[in-house]
Amino acid sequence: MKNVLMATAATLLATSAMADVNIGNPMAMTGPIPDLNAPIAAAVDLAATHVNAQGGMFADGEAFNVIRADSACDPTAAVDAVTKLINVNGVSAIVGPVCSGATIAQAESVAIPAGVLTLSVSASSPAISTMEDGTDLVFRAAASDAYQGVALAELAMANGYSDIAVSYANDDYNAAIAAVFVEAFEGMGGTVTANEAHEPNKASYRSEVATMGGTSDNLALFSYYGSGGITLMRNALETSAFTNFIGADGMLSDELIEQIGAENLMTSTFTTSASDASTPSFAAWAALADEAGVPASDPFVANGYDATFMMALAIEHAGSDDREAIAASLRAIASGPGEVILPGQWAEAKAILAAGGDINYEGAAGNQDFDENGDVAGNFSKSTIVDGAWAAELIQ
Amino acid sequence: MEAYLGYGLYILSLLTVGGIYAIFALGLNVQWGFAGLFNVGIVGFAAVGAYSYALLTTAESTFHLGGFGLPLPLGMAVAMVASAFIAGLIGLICIRLRSDYLAIATIGIAEIIKLILKNESDITNGPRGINKIPRTWEHFSEERFYSSWPMSWFGTPENWDAFFDSLPNWYWQPLFAGTILLVVYVIYRMLERARMSPWGRMMTAIRENESAARASGKNVTRRRIEAFVIGAAIMGLAGALFAQHLRLIEPTQTFDSAKVTFLVWVMLIAGGSGNNKGAILGAFLIWTIWSASELIIGGAINLIGAIFTTMDASILQTRAGFLRMMLIGILMQVILQRYPGGILPEVRPASPKADTKVAGTTGETK
Amino acid sequence: MWDAFGFEFVNFYFIPGLVLGCIYALGAIGITLTFGILRFANFAHGEIMMSGAYLTWTMMAIAGAAGLALHPLVAMVPATFIVILLFLGTDRWFYKPFRKEDTIKVVMASFGMMLIIRSAVQVIWGPNQLTFVPGIARPNATLQQITGDLGAMIIMPNKHIFIFAGTVIIVIALSYLLNRTRIGKAMRAVSDSPDLAHVTGIDVDRVIRATWIVGGICAMAAGVFLAMDIQMLETTMGFRMLLPMFAAAILGGIGKPYGAVFGGLVIGLAEELSAYPWIGDAPLLSPGYKTGVAFAIMVIMLIVRPQGLFKGRSF
Repeated sequence: MKNVLMATAATLLATSAMADVNIGNPMAMTGPIPDLNAPIAAAVDLAATHVNAQGGMFADGEAFNVIRADSACDPTAAVDAVTKLINVNGVSAIVGPVCSGATIAQAESVAIPAGVLTLSVSASSPAISTMEDGTDLVFRAAASDAYQGVALAELAMANGYSDIAVSYANDDYNAAIAAVFVEAFEGMGGTVTANEAHEPNKASYRSEVATMGGTSDNLALFSYYGSGGITLMRNALETSAFTNFIGADGMLSDELIEQIGAENLMTSTFTTSASDASTPSFAAWAALADEAGVPASDPFVANGYDATFMMALAIEHAGSDDREAIAASLRAIASGPGEVILPGQWAEAKAILAAGGDINYEGAAGNQDFDENGDVAGNFSKSTIVDGAWAAELIQ
Repeated sequence: MEAYLGYGLYILSLLTVGGIYAIFALGLNVQWGFAGLFNVGIVGFAAVGAYSYALLTTAESTFHLGGFGLPLPLGMAVAMVASAFIAGLIGLICIRLRSDYLAIATIGIAEIIKLILKNESDITNGPRGINKIPRTWEHFSEERFYSSWPMSWFGTPENWDAFFDSLPNWYWQPLFAGTILLVVYVIYRMLERARMSPWGRMMTAIRENESAARASGKNVTRRRIEAFVIGAAIMGLAGALFAQHLRLIEPTQTFDSAKVTFLVWVMLIAGGSGNNKGAILGAFLIWTIWSASELIIGGAINLIGAIFTTMDASILQTRAGFLRMMLIGILMQVILQRYPGGILPEVRPASPKADTKVAGTTGETK
Repeated sequence: MWDAFGFEFVNFYFIPGLVLGCIYALGAIGITLTFGILRFANFAHGEIMMSGAYLTWTMMAIAGAAGLALHPLVAMVPATFIVILLFLGTDRWFYKPFRKEDTIKVVMASFGMMLIIRSAVQVIWGPNQLTFVPGIARPNATLQQITGDLGAMIIMPNKHIFIFAGTVIIVIALSYLLNRTRIGKAMRAVSDSPDLAHVTGIDVDRVIRATWIVGGICAMAAGVFLAMDIQMLETTMGFRMLLPMFAAAILGGIGKPYGAVFGGLVIGLAEELSAYPWIGDAPLLSPGYKTGVAFAIMVIMLIVRPQGLFKGRSF
C-alpha cells in the first residue's frame, strides 16, 4: 500500500522540474485562521512571481517554486507537512508556518534536525527567540510580541488613556501580546481595570463586554478579526460598553470595515508592523500589492512577501540551493552594508549579486535586520479610519 | 541517492506517527472493542499524558511550571499513571452510563480538561504550550543529557559532542521509529494475552450480554472500570510519545478532538474493532492515507492545471486542504459501508474450536 | 454603555442569554428528535445549520444581484427546501445502511458527514468570513422609549426581536404538530417506544422522514438566527454550537422537544450569566472558561440525572 502510494506521489510530483529552486511553504490553509492566512499566501506567491518574472534564479534563470503545504496552524499537521516538504519534495528551505505553535513544532521536530532553515512569516511568540540550541536555523520576518505590546502601550498612553480594560483571545498569539501590553502599560503608570481571556469563536461576548465595560471606557482588544474579534467588537459597540478601542494587527483588516462599518470605527486605533506609505519600502510594496490585488496592510501580508523575497535573495546570494549556505546568506542580504533593495527589485538585486556586490533588503514590513536570535525589531505604525479606509502612520 | 534517503525518512516518519496512533487505537480497543465503552474523550487522556510527560522531562523553564528534567522513562510512566488516575475518577462516576451518554460525557470531560490546560497558564504556559520536549534517542545529543549521569560515566561531554557530530543528523529517526514499533508490539502481545485470558472472555461476555454476566456473579462495574483505566493508561503513553514526536504541545490545535479522537476512531473501526491486529493495521493504513493524500491531491491539482491550461487551478490550490478533508470523509463512509466489521473483523477468543465458523460469519459485533 | 437605569442585568446579561438560548434551543430540538427517534447523536447537525445559513446568504446574494433586498427570514424559505433535501439525502445514502447496525456506525457516519459538509462549504464558498448583515445593530428606539417611560428600559436591537418572535412561532408550530397531527403523534410514539410503535402499525420510515424535515426546519432557523445575531458567516459556526446543543438536549431529556427548548434557554443563560460580576467587579468565572459552562452542566446532569429534567429516555 505504502509503496503504491509513494510511487503515485512521486509520479505526480515529477510534473515539477527537478532543476528548479524549490522552497517549502507550509501555511495555515485549513484550521482556525484560513481567512487571515489567505492574503499572506497570496503575498508569498506574489513574491515568487516577481522573482520569476525578473530573470529567475541564478545565471541560467531557474524557476523559483513555492511548494505549498497545509500546516493548519496545528503542530501535528505542521510536522507532517514539513516532513513531506523536506524529505519527499526535497525543498531547500522553509518559508512558513503562520502560527507560532506550528512554527516551533516543525522547527524542533523536523527542520532543525534535518538542518533546514526556517523563515517564519508571522510567528511572534517570544519562545522562538530562545528555542535553538547552537544552531542558526530559525528566523522570522515578524517582530516578537515583546516589541508590539510595548508600542501599543505607548500608543495608549499617547491617546491619553489612564485606565484600560484588556480582553484577549485565548490563543498563542493574542495571549502573549496581551501579557506584554499589560506589563508595559502598568509600568508606564496606567491602570488596567480588567484583564480577561475570552474563548475564541463564541457566538456572543455580550456579558463579558458588559462586565468589563463597567470598569473603563477604553478597551484593548487582542484577537483575530476572523475568530471572534469582530463579534466581540460588535457586541461592545451594540451595548456601548466601550468608547475607545485599541488593538494589535490581528484585528486590522478591511474585513472589519466591511462588516462593522467605517463610521463605527472612528474611535479605534490598531497597530501593525510599519506600513506608513511615506516610507519608500512600504510605498513600493503597496504599489505592487495594489496592482496584484493583494491587501497590502492586512496582518502579516507584508511579512509574507518579505520572507519569500528574502529567501530568494539568500539563495541567489548563496549561489546554490544547498541547505547549508542559506542561513549565512540570509543574514548577509538582510542587513547592511550594501545597496538598498526594496520590495520587487529582483532584477536590480540579481545584477548586484552577480557583480559580487552587497545588498541590504529593506522590507515592506520593516528593515528586516536580523539580530543574533534571528528576530527582527519592530517598527510599528498606527492605523485609524480616514475617509472610510485604514490609514497608517509611523509611530516609532 | 539523496532523494531515496528522503523517501526512506518519510516512510520512517509514517511508521513513527502510525505507530503512535496504533497505540491510541489499541488503547481504544480495550475500551470499545473489549468492553464496549464508547469513549469519545481520547483527546483528554492524550493531553493528560502528553502534559505530564512534558512537564516532568523538559529542562527548567520560565514559561511553565517546573521543567523538572526527569529521565524520559519516568516521564512516560507518570504519563500512564496520570491518565489512568483521571480515567479512574471518570470511571467511578460515569461508567454506569451506557453508550451514547458515556460518549457525550467523555467528550465534555475532554473539553473541560483542555480548557483547564489552556487557562491555567502558570502551570502549562496556556495556549502557547510547552516546547523543547525531549525525544527518545535524539535527546542524548542534548547537552543536559550527555553532561550528566549515566552518560557522563561513559565519556566526557566533549567526546559525546564529537560523537554526535559524527553521526548523520537523522540518526535518531530509525531508532525512534523502532522504539515506537517495539512499544506497539509489546502492548499488542500483552493485550492478546489479556484477550485470550478468562478476563478477556469475561469482558466479551459483559459486552454482549450484561445481565447474563451479572447473573453469573461477575462484577460488571468493576470490570468495566478496569478496561476503562487500562485503555486510558495506554492512551496516556501514546500521548507522551505524541509529545515526543511533536516536541511542542499546546492545548487547542494539538489536541483538537476532530484530529485525535475522530482519527483514532476511524482507525479502529476501519481496521476492525475487537481485533488488536485490526487496530494496528487501521492506524498505519489511515495515517498513511491521511498524510500521503496531501502529496497526491497537490500533485493531482498540478496535473489538472497542466492539462487544462485554460483553467485557473489557483482557487483549487488554496482550497486543496478542504478538498482533502472532504475526500477523507468520503473514504470513511466507503470503509464503513464496504467493511462493516472492519478490514480484520473480530475473532472470538472463547472456545476457539467450536466458534470459528460463527465468528467468521458474524463479523461485526457490538 | 447605554444608560439603562440600573436595568443592565436584564439588558446585558439576561436578554443576550435568552437570544443565545433560543438558538441553542432550535438546534437542540433537531438533535433531541434524531436522538429519540433514530437513536443516534447526530454530529453533522451543526454543519447542517451552518450550510443552511450559507444557502440563505446565497439566496440573498442572488436576489441582491437582481436588485432585490431580501430579509434573511424571507431568503431562508427557499434555502430550507435545499437543507431538507440535504437532510433526506444524507439519511438515504449515509445513515439508512446502518439502521439495523450498532449505533457507533451511524455516529461515525454522521461524524464523517460533518467533515464532508464542512469541507464542501469551504471548497464552494471559501474559508473566508462572509458578511451577512453589515454594520452595528442599534437598539430598537420605540421599544427603548416605551419601556423607558415605564421605568424599566429594555435595550434590544431589532434582530433580537426577530429571533425571539421566530423562536416562539416555531415552538408553537412544533407543539401543534406534535400534539394535534397524526404524524406528530406517531413521532412521539416512536420516540417513546419504537417496538411498540412498530407493532401498532406506524410507518417508521415516514416518521423518520418527518423527523428529518422537522429537524431540518429547526436547524435551518437556528443557523439563520445565529447568522443574524453575529451578522456574519463562518464555516465553523455550526460546529462550535454543537456541544452546547447536545448539552441542551441532555439537560431537557432525550426525545423531549420541550425539554430541548428549556435546556437550550438554560444553557444560553448559564453561559452569559457566568460572566456577571456576582461577587465584586470581576466576572464570576473567567470568560476563558465560558465554553466549559455548558460542558459542566452536561456532565453533572449526566451523572446526577441522566434522564434529564423532563424525564427523557435514559440508555
